[in-house]
Amino acid sequence: MERIDPAQARNHIEMVDRILAEVQPRLCSGGEHFVVWGLASAAITVTSHLVAQGRAPAAALWLIPAILAASVAFSALRRRFTQQVLARTSLVQREFFNVLWVTLGLAFIVDVAVFRIFPGIAGAAIWSVAEAIVLLYIGMHGNRRAQIAGILIVVSLVVANFVSQNLTAYVLATGMLVGYGGFGAAELLARGDELH
Amino acid sequence: MDELLLSKVRLGIVAALLNYDWVAFTELARALDVSNGNLGAHLSKLVDAGYVEEEKSFVNRRPLTRYRLARRGRDAFSDHVRQLQALLKEAT
Repeated sequence: MERIDPAQARNHIEMVDRILAEVQPRLCSGGEHFVVWGLASAAITVTSHLVAQGRAPAAALWLIPAILAASVAFSALRRRFTQQVLARTSLVQREFFNVLWVTLGLAFIVDVAVFRIFPGIAGAAIWSVAEAIVLLYIGMHGNRRAQIAGILIVVSLVVANFVSQNLTAYVLATGMLVGYGGFGAAELLARGDELH
Repeated sequence: MDELLLSKVRLGIVAALLNYDWVAFTELARALDVSNGNLGAHLSKLVDAGYVEEEKSFVNRRPLTRYRLARRGRDAFSDHVRQLQALLKEAT
């Protein structure tokens, strides 16, 4: 049986410490997903509102499934591509992706299948809550931009509750656009900076 | 002590895999700064011992080999590091 002396043991432990110290996995790789879903959720919220107010024809509602289908297709393709090309996928990242998909998946189901309990603008508010959960989860792992974006969405929810009903959808949509989409844009810009 | 982990390279591989799900061969070689041949030989031993799982696939027609730490490897690593620390404590 091989033996190891204390000096070697120290050397090995120092190496393990160094390797573990280098492990700082990024929770969010890229911001495309957030830009697309931020835009999509804001567009859907505003479209629904305009149709409900009679300012847009009922046919405009067809835009909603089209936007949703395009966004889902984008996310599915991106997820497949990302999984294939990522050199490392940390356990924290995998957990984050699970939270992301479960949260947004549940929000999607609530909007599509529970519309009698959450009619009209309530569906948009559910989306806002889901987006805030995702961003605050990323923020809890040390991403300051995600913290700010998550808080922005929460603020938009509170503000939307108190403004006149005509403005509620616009406030929620602004929260989605600036919070979720804006976070994605900021991540993309930050990634661009890192590459230079 | 775990004889397989007495090798510094193998211990480094297990430490590098500890907080990750799957890690590509090239990324491991970069992180540990060892040659491909050396890394491949050590990884084979860890895979044979059931410490590490291997997955081979193709991405854009290029081969991609990834590794992840198995439960057995994780337990062995914990025990081994604990024993290294005990040895150091005894020596001081």
